[in-house]
Amino acid sequence: MTGVDWFSYSLSDFLMFGPEVFLRLFVRINQDFWPWQGVAVVMMLLIAGFLVRGDKLAKRAVLLLLAAAWLWSGAGFLLEYYGPINLPATWFGWGFILQAALLTVAALVWPWDGNAARPARRWRAGTGWLAMTGLLPLLMVAQTGNWQAIALFGIAPGVTVAASVPCLLLLPRRVRWLFLLLPLLWSVFSAATLWTLGTRLVFVLPVATLTLTLVSFWFSPRPAQSPD
Amino acid sequence: MATQWTRRQFMAALAATGLSVPMPGLMAAPGGKAITRPIPSSGESLPVIGMGTWRTFNVGGDQHLVRERTEVLKTFFESGGTLVDSSPMYGSADDVMGEALDTLNAHDQVFAANKIWTSDGGATREQDGASRRKWSIERFDLQQVHNLVAWEPHLETLKQMKADGDIRYLGITTSHGRRHRDLAQIMEQEPLDFVQLTYNVLDREAEQRLLPLAKERGIAVIVNRPFQGGSLFRRYQSEPLPGWAAEAGCGNWAEFFLKFIVSHPAVTCAIPATTKVKHMEENMGAQYGDLPDEQQRRRMADYVAGL
Ligand SMILES: NC(=O)c1ccc[n+]([C@@H]2O[C@H](COP(=O)([O-])OP(=O)(O)OC[C@H]3O[C@@H](n4cnc5c(N)ncnc54)[C@H](OP(=O)(O)O)[C@@H]3O)[C@@H](O)[C@H]2O)c1
Repeated sequence: MTGVDWFSYSLSDFLMFGPEVFLRLFVRINQDFWPWQGVAVVMMLLIAGFLVRGDKLAKRAVLLLLAAAWLWSGAGFLLEYYGPINLPATWFGWGFILQAALLTVAALVWPWDGNAARPARRWRAGTGWLAMTGLLPLLMVAQTGNWQAIALFGIAPGVTVAASVPCLLLLPRRVRWLFLLLPLLWSVFSAATLWTLGTRLVFVLPVATLTLTLVSFWFSPRPAQSPD
Repeated sequence: MATQWTRRQFMAALAATGLSVPMPGLMAAPGGKAITRPIPSSGESLPVIGMGTWRTFNVGGDQHLVRERTEVLKTFFESGGTLVDSSPMYGSADDVMGEALDTLNAHDQVFAANKIWTSDGGATREQDGASRRKWSIERFDLQQVHNLVAWEPHLETLKQMKADGDIRYLGITTSHGRRHRDLAQIMEQEPLDFVQLTYNVLDREAEQRLLPLAKERGIAVIVNRPFQGGSLFRRYQSEPLPGWAAEAGCGNWAEFFLKFIVSHPAVTCAIPATTKVKHMEENMGAQYGDLPDEQQRRRMADYVAGL
């Protein structure tokens, strides 16, 4: 008897659900979580504020808020909503929880030096991040034509990952790679899923995240370039 | 299902004794008498159109979509369908099927077909039990080894389960034309009630060996991917049906594709999957009226190949 002929499979053979079911996950979680979306927005504003402040305590706060976002989107969206229709989403759910634990440890124990970047640079980092994290959720709205499908940071995993990667530049390169592994895996998984589903607009998100993640593996900001 | 006789089992047993009674569900269906085929190993009749659940019934906890799929299943039963095929591989499809059957109170109406899909050859009964609990049924009518995964130990256990009355029929599945040689070997050597394989107006490899072998060995054939996963519609739906389609009993493309399949003498039923009531109605139309004869079947295949 021969083994499995993997070359006879295509990506769509592994996709267990259609676009309608996937896109409705966002509508459902927003309906069920209402009005807790407010917390997600406050988290976003706080991170932007801490990026502008840029001191040691602020850096710790950014990582702690990121940890909360990974925990929330992992345990909520991935384990509760996405996992039942797609087994790998459950594995990612646990991965997100692990990433939240890692971020918490880094936030609490990492010995940052006291240097902060120039105020203008910090201002640009904070506002730029806020603009990006505020606009990305609209991709899902554009894809579905439904405001209820908005994919907010802290709730939707894709936007959470995309918004986290630039913040991870706060960490020096020698430890940063550890935090970039899951974003890398997630972006590949998500890009493959969205490509196969044919949801071309939101496909942009994991591709952009993947690019950003790959750059972040090697990018080594000089103090003057640092977003902090 | 094991202890009490359902209406369908009672009818089936009557049919097996040579007595025939009209099934009320079938009488109510549109278009007259449903086309059925006997399962060779028992003589029990099966309507030629069943229902698949891959992708379509994996909707998780989405209650809005669960209600929609329940309507699809309701239409299937109202149109005289009975055989529903699922697998533990299909995400939440088993759970959703269980919910839909509960809502419709239709455990008596379904010919429940499921699969064993685990590389752990010792987990056959465990997986059967897990799926049974999801469907809220006492036993599956048909249990199949999915895609030949660990087929030897699973098949041994399925034989024992059949002997114990824990399932009524056993079988084995493949799809996409994969491992046909292995399947043929198993069909030659094992006492299978059913095989499941891919066959449609474009994917016709099964005609060479597997379908004649099934006929010769008295094995019922379930045909999966009858629409090639939907791509037959995407390719041909905008094309006109041939002028002679009505003579072959086909009023639309769904009937054209399905009647091509179920008119093969070795085929027992086809199991198209759909998320839409309208499509289910179209598909169930293939269970009524005339079927194409051999010459018309050749013409159908040539027509599609020429488009
Ligand atoms: N190895 C195995 O054991 C194996 C492998 C493959 C499949 N299977 C079984 O076989 C079943 C059928 O195969 P499948 O689901 O892969 O493919 P299929 O039945 O050939 O095609 C399903 C697709 O056809 C579309 N469709 C159905 N009726 C239609 C109509 N009247 N008009 C237009 N479009 C229509 C559906 O879309 P809409 O939802 O829009 O109607 C769906 O996208 C599966 O569900 C599964 O139970 C078993």
